[in-house]
Amino acid sequence: MAELQGLGAQLSEAERAGVEIVAVSPDPNERSQKLAEGLRLGFRFLADRDLAVARRYGLVHAGGGPDGQDVPRPATVVLDRDGVVRWFSISRNFQVRPDPDDVLRAVRAL
Amino acid sequence: MLSVVVAIGALAAYVLLLRVAVVRNHPEGYVVAFALAMALAALAVGRARARRWPAWLALGLSSLLLVGGAWFNFVVARVPDAPTVLRVGERPPDFALPDAAGRPVSLADYRGKKPVVLVFYRGYW
Repeated sequence: MAELQGLGAQLSEAERAGVEIVAVSPDPNERSQKLAEGLRLGFRFLADRDLAVARRYGLVHAGGGPDGQDVPRPATVVLDRDGVVRWFSISRNFQVRPDPDDVLRAVRAL
Repeated sequence: MLSVVVAIGALAAYVLLLRVAVVRNHPEGYVVAFALAMALAALAVGRARARRWPAWLALGLSSLLLVGGAWFNFVVARVPDAPTVLRVGERPPDFALPDAAGRPVSLADYRGKKPVVLVFYRGYW
């Protein structure tokens, strides 16, 4: 969540309107909704309960959860208006996430 | 004493500043701070004449933090590499997932309308 807060804080109003931030996690919907409201940011939180999408994208860290369950590998993907990948980053250490500046640079370069 | 301050301070600063990308993205910083705390404690043990136990206690605490911190950062937090279907210049597979209100949202909904920043995260972190 710290990552999303950082990203949200650096986006201007206009940019928030011009780009959709879609956050995908295995969290149940209710919890994501609370997070979204708490942050008061226009993010779309999507629930990937069984990690089906993460798996299809090759973004599953098998057994990486605190109870040995599968969890997503933290990843950030910038897609242009045509849905084509322009930039992406996948964490090698789950504490490390892309610098919001790098993400914004990719967004502004679209 | 200084050793305990360095160790606890590093831990607190890291947790409090998770939002700041520079701090978050250099987790090895707390490992270095714990090593520094351990060195200070070792120095204190060497210099103390009478009451030596506080210095030993600091040495024990800082070495525990160093081992724990290093283990967490270099072993627990490591995410193994695996092949991904993501390629720059290509369209990733489409999907439809429920949003917070239960409405299905698909990637194709944005095609021709808006750029998308797609973030995969673990939920609790």
